[in-house]
Amino acid sequence: MAAAVLSVRNLSVDLALAGRERPILKDISFDMRPREIVGVVGASGSGKTVLSKAVVNWIEAPLAIRGGEVRFRDRDILAMAPGEMRRLRRDVAYVGANPMGALDPTLPVGRQIVEKIRAVAPEIGGAEAARRVVELLEAVRIPSAKARFHDYPSQFSGGMMQRALIVDAMVSNPTLLVADNVTQPLDVTVAAQVIRLMRELTERFETAVLFVSSSLPVAREAASRILVIDDGRLVEEQPTEALIASPRHPYTRELVSQVPAIWREAPAVPRGSNAERSAVVSLNDVSQTYRVRKRGAFAGASELRAVRRVTFDVFKGDSFAVVGESGCGKSTLMRLLSRLERPAGGEVLCEGQDISKLSGAGLLAFRRKLQLVLQDPFDSLPPRTAIGRMLEIPLRVHGWRDAGRIREKVRAVMNDVGLPDALYEELPTGLSAGQRQRVNVARAMVLDPEILLMDETLSALDQTEQFKLLALFEKLQREHSLTYIFISHDLAMVRKACNRIAVMYLGEVVELADNDRLFFDPGHPYTKALLSAMPTLEERRYRPEDCLLEGEPPSPIDLPTGCSFRSRCPQAFDRCVRENPLLTARGRTDLSSCHLVSSPSAIAAERASRSTGT
Amino acid sequence: MLGAPNGRDGVRSPMFVLSFLIRRLAQGAVIIFLVSLLIFTLLRVVPGDPVRLMAGGMAPEALIEEIATKMGLRDPIVVQFGRYMGKVVQGDLGQSFVRPANGAATGGASFNDATRGERAEVLDLILETLPMTLQLAATALAIALVFSTALGVAAGLNPGGWIDKLAFYVSSVFISLPNFWLGIVLALLLSVKLGWLPAIGYAGYSYTILPAIVLAVELSPVLIRTLSSAVAAQMGQSYVAIGHVRGLTLPRIVLNHALRNASVPLLNVLGVQFSSLLGGVIIVEYIFDYPGLGLLTINAVLQRDFPLIQGIAIVTSAIFVLINILVDLAATSIDPRLEY
Repeated sequence: MAAAVLSVRNLSVDLALAGRERPILKDISFDMRPREIVGVVGASGSGKTVLSKAVVNWIEAPLAIRGGEVRFRDRDILAMAPGEMRRLRRDVAYVGANPMGALDPTLPVGRQIVEKIRAVAPEIGGAEAARRVVELLEAVRIPSAKARFHDYPSQFSGGMMQRALIVDAMVSNPTLLVADNVTQPLDVTVAAQVIRLMRELTERFETAVLFVSSSLPVAREAASRILVIDDGRLVEEQPTEALIASPRHPYTRELVSQVPAIWREAPAVPRGSNAERSAVVSLNDVSQTYRVRKRGAFAGASELRAVRRVTFDVFKGDSFAVVGESGCGKSTLMRLLSRLERPAGGEVLCEGQDISKLSGAGLLAFRRKLQLVLQDPFDSLPPRTAIGRMLEIPLRVHGWRDAGRIREKVRAVMNDVGLPDALYEELPTGLSAGQRQRVNVARAMVLDPEILLMDETLSALDQTEQFKLLALFEKLQREHSLTYIFISHDLAMVRKACNRIAVMYLGEVVELADNDRLFFDPGHPYTKALLSAMPTLEERRYRPEDCLLEGEPPSPIDLPTGCSFRSRCPQAFDRCVRENPLLTARGRTDLSSCHLVSSPSAIAAERASRSTGT
Repeated sequence: MLGAPNGRDGVRSPMFVLSFLIRRLAQGAVIIFLVSLLIFTLLRVVPGDPVRLMAGGMAPEALIEEIATKMGLRDPIVVQFGRYMGKVVQGDLGQSFVRPANGAATGGASFNDATRGERAEVLDLILETLPMTLQLAATALAIALVFSTALGVAAGLNPGGWIDKLAFYVSSVFISLPNFWLGIVLALLLSVKLGWLPAIGYAGYSYTILPAIVLAVELSPVLIRTLSSAVAAQMGQSYVAIGHVRGLTLPRIVLNHALRNASVPLLNVLGVQFSSLLGGVIIVEYIFDYPGLGLLTINAVLQRDFPLIQGIAIVTSAIFVLINILVDLAATSIDPRLEY
């Protein structure tokens, strides 16, 4: 066995904030060998990120090292002088979770990477450094790397920026790379590309990677050995497959059991009995177009077609999901469904009424019927309002006057969503993300709505919290016969919680199917790609080698002709360039828009099935 | 690079600069037109008949009416304005009501003063004094920038430290000093008592320094506060923290990145501060009897010299518009995300 590149010994880190001192990391020890990818998993707040910072000697106030050593090549880097540590940055590199803030926004990306090379390796000349950067940008498959070298950070998408930062980290041939939640802000298909890229790079540059992640399936994709951290303690360490097959520590067992099953077991969702299924929300050929100003032109605007001709029905009692990657139009669709915006074309019907025509009392009644639960648990709650008061406001807006009844109702709802009564007078300041999302759900539920629109409601939560909230959603749906519309990018959650799923790509619905059909027999290559990229603990049904996409979606301002997916589709052929496929029926209820779907009966089938009231 | 406005390495493409300049200059022309209209109208509705001032207190009413009609002052304001702007676009700002072409202003005690026939061109009056004021403004700006950058950046790098407190006290004191008082005190101290700098009038560059110091003191507080908070904010950005981890040295991070980013709010403040500089110039030039645009303005107002006031207003608003265009162009070339 090769000598360890990194040995962490009895590392303890404290929060040293006057009055709130507490240990963050307790007595952590582990080793890393050259070229090894070691995963670190744990819940949010378990100390993973602090560990990754300690390993690169980046512990700043209010955190403080309490004891222990981080030995890199047999020297304790925590005891090093700043100047010496700076020189060591060539060998110890770091990539974080927020790619967009990591570089100076006012300078071209390439130039900043060159600056870094020159700072850690002054012997490399400017031209040589620039050549290396372009070469590596090509290696991480950034298209037209030479031109991209001169682009600014704001001109990169999140996925591209993360790849540029990996270049920035790898460009000095480091011995150790710390990757802290690098895939968290990325879409699944892009995250899968980044993980694959990291594995290639460890081979090519002989770099050891400490891969920190809040998701066990993601860590499994990347790492050969996994450390599990719970509440600042290293509770288990095993090779990846052994850890998943036979977790020893109770916390690891819990973690493994909470990972949603995709193909192993049928979900408990075939709800929405076929008996009396009436559509509560219908989208009829809905489009939304935004005008964006062209830069560097005298006048003129481009059209951004965010949602294109979307048609579907949501039936009473459904848990309907809209999935897709960032930029696919899901959020625009959310704004159209909740009438925050009116569509540029088509109509959104709620129980037969066109909601864009509502106003006054009619609109208020619609708002009571359909409530929205937002994504960000932190920004969506007013920081200086007591929780009880937050829940009272919607009632007052909707005409409740009796203070006693309002109080009673708010307490009942808080009880419903699992918030203790004691929080009534509290500010949201001290609440965890999960608690905050409960407040958000309560704020929607207090009006006794019939439809809840969940816009990425669970994506800010860790596995354990997601698990609890999903259980809550199920309970609420049972007790209040709710209809859910989930807007999400998380297929694992959708598999567990939804019965009908619409897949969106570049503003269009490319596939609409029931849960089982979508996961076991997807009709669209994009759905297949999403499924193949999904991190899971199970054996894959779809091999990424066959269906994983290269690159990123094209800009919705500059749509490709024909099928908008063809630029990334592994099965594209010449017909795809000429014509855009229509949604085509596959069996009784499922639709997909791909020329490879055999039945040519097109969208008419859906119309027909709707009119017969299936 | 799909539709990217930037050429290589941050240099704006000529197309972008051209379209920016054309768009902004067109906007600027509209602004200057509106300012002219406003000034023109206001000057004509305020009490005080300029003809009475020109012709002298003793002139008979009939003569006053005759002169006024001959000069077109009894036409509707819109007609007068149209006539005026027609000349302005040809570069003719009209003639002073009061000032003779050959020098000193006349109050016009007697209406048949021989010198009155030949009145000074407004444009000439402005072109004589404008360079003096620009020299004063540039010197004041240079002094203010050097001083505020040193103090503001040092304060921004150590928020809460002694230098931050010092910067706060200095700017508080500076902002509370009335400029006319400071001007008199400095003139007394540096000029009369110590004899280091000349104070009154103009006979060489050294006469610019004292009034420039007074203006710089007036400008500095806002610049110091802007810089120190901008630098402090930039130092809290994640690219700074990650810069350390990426192996960049502190001087590089501060000089190459934090200051670059912090200069954008500074530029914006500078653009706005220029208007207060022009206001300050009037008082300071008056105190130091500095022969610039400010002194000319005061005298023009005191004498109700309509054409001169209008001319000054148009020229200063044009300068103001131009400076703001340049500031925005500089800001967009530093930060490519900005759109103006």
